Amino acid sequence: MARVEKTGWLMDVYTRPSGELVCWLLSEDGQRWLLPMDFPVTFYAAGSLAVLRQAWRFLRGRGVQLSRQVRRDLFHGERVVLSATLDLPGRLPETYRRLAQAFPVLDYYDADLPLSVRFVAGTQVPLLGRCRFETDGQRLLGLQPLESAWEMQPSLPPLRVMEIECDAEPALHPPQEIVIRCDRRCYRFPLQPLRAFVVNLQALLGTYDPDVILTRYGDTWLFPFLSEHAPSFNPNRDEQMKVEFRRERSLFAYGQVLYRGAQALLFGRWHIDRCNAALFAEIGLTGALEMARVTGLGVQEAVRKSPGAGITAMQMQTALRDGVLIPAVKQQAEATRTLVSLIRYDRGGMVYQPLVGVHRHVAELDFASMYPAIMVRYNISPETLYQRDAPAGLIPRTLQPLLVKRLALKHCLHTLDRRDSRVSDLKARQTALKWLLVVCFGYLGYKNARFGRVESHEAVTAISRELLLQAKENAEDMGFTILHMYVDSLFVKREDTRTEADFLPLAEKIQAETGIGVTLEGVYRWLVFLPACRDQRIPVANRYFGVFEDGTLKYRGIALRRHDTCPYVAQTQLDILSCLAQADDPREQWKEAWGLVNQRVRSLQRRQAAIEGLQMAVKLSRDPQAFRRPSAAAQAARQLQAEGVAVRAGMRLFFWFTQQGVSVAPPAAEEVDWDHYARLVLRAAGEILDVLQPVEKKQQYYLPLLK
Amino acid sequence: MGRTVPTITRQLNETEAMLQTFRRTLRRGDQALLDGLLASAHRHLAAISASGALLPFEAALLAMLLEQARRIAALEEEIRIFQEEVVRLRDGKG
Repeated sequence: MARVEKTGWLMDVYTRPSGELVCWLLSEDGQRWLLPMDFPVTFYAAGSLAVLRQAWRFLRGRGVQLSRQVRRDLFHGERVVLSATLDLPGRLPETYRRLAQAFPVLDYYDADLPLSVRFVAGTQVPLLGRCRFETDGQRLLGLQPLESAWEMQPSLPPLRVMEIECDAEPALHPPQEIVIRCDRRCYRFPLQPLRAFVVNLQALLGTYDPDVILTRYGDTWLFPFLSEHAPSFNPNRDEQMKVEFRRERSLFAYGQVLYRGAQALLFGRWHIDRCNAALFAEIGLTGALEMARVTGLGVQEAVRKSPGAGITAMQMQTALRDGVLIPAVKQQAEATRTLVSLIRYDRGGMVYQPLVGVHRHVAELDFASMYPAIMVRYNISPETLYQRDAPAGLIPRTLQPLLVKRLALKHCLHTLDRRDSRVSDLKARQTALKWLLVVCFGYLGYKNARFGRVESHEAVTAISRELLLQAKENAEDMGFTILHMYVDSLFVKREDTRTEADFLPLAEKIQAETGIGVTLEGVYRWLVFLPACRDQRIPVANRYFGVFEDGTLKYRGIALRRHDTCPYVAQTQLDILSCLAQADDPREQWKEAWGLVNQRVRSLQRRQAAIEGLQMAVKLSRDPQAFRRPSAAAQAARQLQAEGVAVRAGMRLFFWFTQQGVSVAPPAAEEVDWDHYARLVLRAAGEILDVLQPVEKKQQYYLPLLK
Repeated sequence: MGRTVPTITRQLNETEAMLQTFRRTLRRGDQALLDGLLASAHRHLAAISASGALLPFEAALLAMLLEQARRIAALEEEIRIFQEEVVRLRDGKG
């Protein structure tokens, strides 16, 4: 084939077992290309010159180009390093592993970077970005970017999507039937006989040649099952590749135990398991593509990993472009601190306890992306600490375009009508970027983050506290009462303010004073701050419900927001809120709300509620054998284990409360513990309604229901 | 995350737990008053935290005093209104 030039999109990159890099490209004429490309990769080692000399001798003759260079470490400044370049990128992990094993005392750099991140930084072509490429049909000869990752309206590749679902949750019941949807057609195949099913699936893959396979339980059941029982079946577009399986694991992150199921990754097309992709339910395919575009992580990685991996990948890209070394293992430990220094500086954001009770005509003002905005505006980065007038640091330079793009997307959303067809895509994209911005602050203080430093983390919270105090003083100067402040938002009211226009001067004044964007989230017709359950006199931060002037509800910290609330109870609480929202003051609707509660409790007592609505969902906080007391979750876990299901910490378990305890299978109506569900409804109702009326009036309604 | 020092809410809760024997020894009526005092400190968690004190309970005591002062000021205002009303009634202007 003669050399041809095409325009299209870079979809993904990976390495074949031979070690060569392959680019998956989609050209505008609809053709899919899997083209190998020359892409040498380099890693570095630093340390004592004597050991470096030995390392040189160790690598000599192993197909590695070696040289001595001087490069910049963000924390140590310039360092003499041994540079090792490999022509085949797939060989780097093994070469690095052997060298690190032989010379553990050396510091290694750029040794464990995701291949796609290296590629994007090296070629300037973002994943999912439009590009021009040249090929002779065998290899990729040239590649130029036509679009940046920061394009506001990026062109989208015409993707072919195939959806595969099974008729049961495989952890509980073996699936019997598989449903495949593609190109507006729906196919149903029995799983057995397996040979017939595999032949049909392979035929559909050949006919439709999908770019994305969206599954339910594809990671944890379908592909492992097919790999075991039909080893000759290959769902990859690249026939030289096999499905890559990664093991399941439980981990502790963000203060909770998380479970990550096994993963099945494809080559030349993507596999996304809706049930095993952390953010997919929230951001969908559009958000996943946006995340891959800005982070440089492949789509399959981006949807399965936490946003922290995304922000790390972005920092790596900045470092690679600037020629800054990326340590394989973080070498900086926190400096010794005095107790007084810790007490003074090791504090989080400012939280002002709310004034408990009902408030009318309240405005909520938010600092837009406060922590990232502080990092950019005040140039907070590990290398700029304690320096005046330092050039923009690595972290601010990474965050700046992300911040600008998200604010622009948000602005665009505000200008569109809610019914506009572009709204859902814009929302998904801005949510994907929001998650990256949310975690960037935590990663600054995370002990294992490559470019983290706890003092920078503390600087951000110190500035945020100061800014929030400035906002409070500005509001008080203008005669407002501060009802509540929570890290980056404040709730205010004044006797004479009713509409958004009345609060805008305050928002503008705070923005002018602090230099950080302030948005008016909205004006509440009424807002209720709730007290602690243990003592009605103690206020609790970020626990409230209210209704905006346009009738939209907002609630935080109540049962409705909790994942372990069953649908029946959640729906009851939502209906109570909707009932209260009909009035100008929620206290006026109190009696009607209790009428509704009465109705729901009665229907439980008459066993009229649907069983599906009573299903509880609880995340297992530890492995089943580690439970000392037989809690409901522990009982459910043991029942599943008895049925041969592998249960791990962080998994989400589903069960019902029954007269005997709990049941993981749907129970018959006479087995359900209806009184227990009635108590849950009453508790959820009391959570909202107790604060609205004095005790004696509550008892009049509450006590008869308990009988 | 980089937080090493426990939050101010946790520190106050721990102090309250330490005071349980003290509380138990009080008369039933006094226990309710103590609970009210401790609860009032929770309204000023941000200020107690901002004080950066080595012993945050000192700042918590100040917060309790502040709440007492606020209560006294509110009662004084009520008394003033009542007194004005009494004077008005006595002078036959009611």
